[in-house]
Amino acid sequence: MANYFNKISGMDVEFFEKLLGSGNVSTSEEELIANSVDAYPGEFYKPETVVWPESSEQVAEILRYAYERRIPVYPRGGGTGLTGVAPIYGGIVLSLVKMNRIIEIYEEDMQVKVQPGIIYDKLNKELEKYGLFFPPDPSSGSWCTIGGMVASNSSGLKAVKYGTTREYVLGLKVVLSDGRVVTVGSRTFKYSTGFDILKMMIGSQGTLGVFTEITLRLRNLPESLQTAVAFFPSVESAVKTVYQIVRRGLDVAAIEFMDEKMMKAVAEYKKIHLPESKALLLVETHGTKIAATEMMEKCVSVFEENRAVEVRVARDAEEREVLWAARKGAYPATLRLGRYMIISDVVVPISKLHEAVQKAYELGMKHGVHSSVIGHFGDGNLHVHWSAGNDKEKVEYLHRANDELTRWAINVGGALSGEHGIGTEKKKFVKQQFREAYDLMLKIKRMIDPKCILSPGIIFDLEEVVS
Amino acid sequence: MIMREKVKLEKKLGEYLEDVWKCIRCGFCNSVCPTSTISRAFMASLTSRGRLILLQAYFSNILDKSLSDEKIQELMEYCFGCRRCMEVCPPGVRIPNLIWRVKQFNRERSYLRRTILIRYGSMLKLLSSVSSLSNLLLHSYIGKLLLEVVAEISRDVDFPTFYTSLEKWINKREKRQSHRGKLAYFIDVFTNYHEVDLGKKIVGLVENLGYVVVAPSQREAGTLLLEEGLIDEAYRIAKENTENLYSAIQDGARVLTSSPAAYLALKKDYPELLGDSKSRIVSENTIDIIELLLKEYEEDAIDFDKNPEAQIVYHHSCFTKASGLTKDIRRLLTSAGYTLKEIDRCCGIGGVWGMNKKHHSESIEIGLNLFNELKRMKLPVASQSETCRFQIRNNSSVEVRHPFSFIMDRVKIKN
Repeated sequence: MANYFNKISGMDVEFFEKLLGSGNVSTSEEELIANSVDAYPGEFYKPETVVWPESSEQVAEILRYAYERRIPVYPRGGGTGLTGVAPIYGGIVLSLVKMNRIIEIYEEDMQVKVQPGIIYDKLNKELEKYGLFFPPDPSSGSWCTIGGMVASNSSGLKAVKYGTTREYVLGLKVVLSDGRVVTVGSRTFKYSTGFDILKMMIGSQGTLGVFTEITLRLRNLPESLQTAVAFFPSVESAVKTVYQIVRRGLDVAAIEFMDEKMMKAVAEYKKIHLPESKALLLVETHGTKIAATEMMEKCVSVFEENRAVEVRVARDAEEREVLWAARKGAYPATLRLGRYMIISDVVVPISKLHEAVQKAYELGMKHGVHSSVIGHFGDGNLHVHWSAGNDKEKVEYLHRANDELTRWAINVGGALSGEHGIGTEKKKFVKQQFREAYDLMLKIKRMIDPKCILSPGIIFDLEEVVS
Repeated sequence: MIMREKVKLEKKLGEYLEDVWKCIRCGFCNSVCPTSTISRAFMASLTSRGRLILLQAYFSNILDKSLSDEKIQELMEYCFGCRRCMEVCPPGVRIPNLIWRVKQFNRERSYLRRTILIRYGSMLKLLSSVSSLSNLLLHSYIGKLLLEVVAEISRDVDFPTFYTSLEKWINKREKRQSHRGKLAYFIDVFTNYHEVDLGKKIVGLVENLGYVVVAPSQREAGTLLLEEGLIDEAYRIAKENTENLYSAIQDGARVLTSSPAAYLALKKDYPELLGDSKSRIVSENTIDIIELLLKEYEEDAIDFDKNPEAQIVYHHSCFTKASGLTKDIRRLLTSAGYTLKEIDRCCGIGGVWGMNKKHHSESIEIGLNLFNELKRMKLPVASQSETCRFQIRNNSSVEVRHPFSFIMDRVKIKN
């Protein structure tokens, strides 16, 4: 497959320069390298050129040309992905960061139409003026783009109440691999009109099309937020609490779990005291002041029923920040254990959460690596932090442990990724995840992108698509 | 040749080499890096994360270029050492410290500019000693042109006015009796030569509180040299200042600062650079004027005329954020009856980065939103950094002063 794609020639670069202006095309070694990786600790894959279109028409022209010439194209937003969406076959990195405008805010409809390159936090800052927000809240929100979020169906800490990006995308303008432009979805919350091509595009990680306009549904900013942290004598009691909160219909905005090992790392890093316990849950409720407070009181009762050793309820914004600081310190705290670390993103049915935590410990022991667990437990999403400290020799075992956990999660009815996507990192699990539907996925890919010029090597192996 | 360079760089980086690999490429640094806001920063290589990726590529033999390469050095110049990135970096990569060490390989800098940078403290001292003549020359067209050619300071920059140095003024004065202790004022160049009046007021107030103020022999803080990658020269200055301040501490003094750059140098940079016990002792014995006054207020030694209530803007300078003094400033100003509207945006000056002819227009571009917001708000501005005040004053024509100056307007010393 090495020669399947054509290399970019001087003539190709000239074409792009003529189309976009020379300032919007780069073949400089430094720029190619800076676009050769995302936030996944994988190899460098250098593209041959980077282009910055400024309109849907330009994106369409680029794809039409690349399709003709059979040159691979990798759409790119903020490059904050965690799954290794890198230009494996070289070609073009199509950076969408210059297409970063809010096209229109439909205040009455609680919707916004944006270009793909706008940064998540910047969009929400603008929406705040209208009392609205786009909720998914990925931890990379300060630099990730909306286009990238749609492509990865990303989400974050508040997905238990607000859902993932998928729940908010109403419409997309998509440029297909041959340059055709299609508009999918509508500006209504519901429609019963045949195949849902819109949803199929979400989470496709640049393999089906390039999104150049995105219409999002928005939510009202909550009037009040209540936050509490509870410490539990066992993982089991914490998990039981999660189950009971969900089962009793308490519509919480976040239920974050942290295990004892993670708490110790955080306490050391943040220089804070956390009570002796085996697990922590951070719960947040949103709504009117009365509703949020009432719901929090009910959560506190559930904590007590499950023998929480200590419960701390924030009385104001400052205290809320302190409670969140412990949770948000988890990632930096484990990074300080050493440079070799990977994070799992598996998701399981919530009835399997306790078993999943035990499995993570068991696999950590088996492979001789450190495993600590945090997770968005309200939606069954586990981030096991596998760390080998600074021992390079053990890196292989990090992957073995993570792979085994992923296979286990799929087998118990879960999924290989809750919010990061597949990329190159989790490609090896796709067949196991989709089983007989994998063949359908391949057929869809072949139909929409017959030459496989869009993000080849991502989600699928090139050989499978073009064989 | 590149292999030899790598070995040399690894040696120069020392413990910082590990920081190259600690970077997880999350891009959080980009979200706070002031130079990410310039229009050219759509290019990934021009961003903070881009620079770290280039270093990872260099040490992975992917980037097959010397670090002294003009293009590489140009990209490194877009880190002006504001340190905002260090607040948000999950693994705690010491990004500016790394980049300073890469800038050591800059061979593009002219001999003349290098000489000026190394001797800028002495030069400013000389210019201050003949201040009338210096002001006449540096504010003339010929002077500006000369400054641009020789020191690469953009001719569009109105160089700040020189005065006879504060250090000289302090040392000439008759010493008072102390009943509260001795303070060794580490002034740094801007207050020493350009905002002398501010320094005099600081000295006046702390003396009225019962302290004796001395100005020990001192050189510039040297932060500028670090930012330019002149580490060895910065090391020498740090050593000299540390020795002098250590002696003052041995004589029973505490070290007083009023500039966030000076405070940061003594508190964090010198101990990191020198790694010795003397710099640690100097660090432990350094107190900023804001910390001192807050302590005096908490101990009931001072109070404020809180009326009338006034609204002011508090501008978060990068170095104040990095030094951790923000909380104290906020507390002191609100205790003095000021209602604060806070703006956390970089003004773009980056020490002298924004004065450099290569970066001047981009520096204005970085600060533009801040300047426009301040113009719209039409309120007096408190900013702790001298160069931020300089930049804001020149580009928004609003009244901008050191937080101390606002405190001074309302402070009452209790008996």
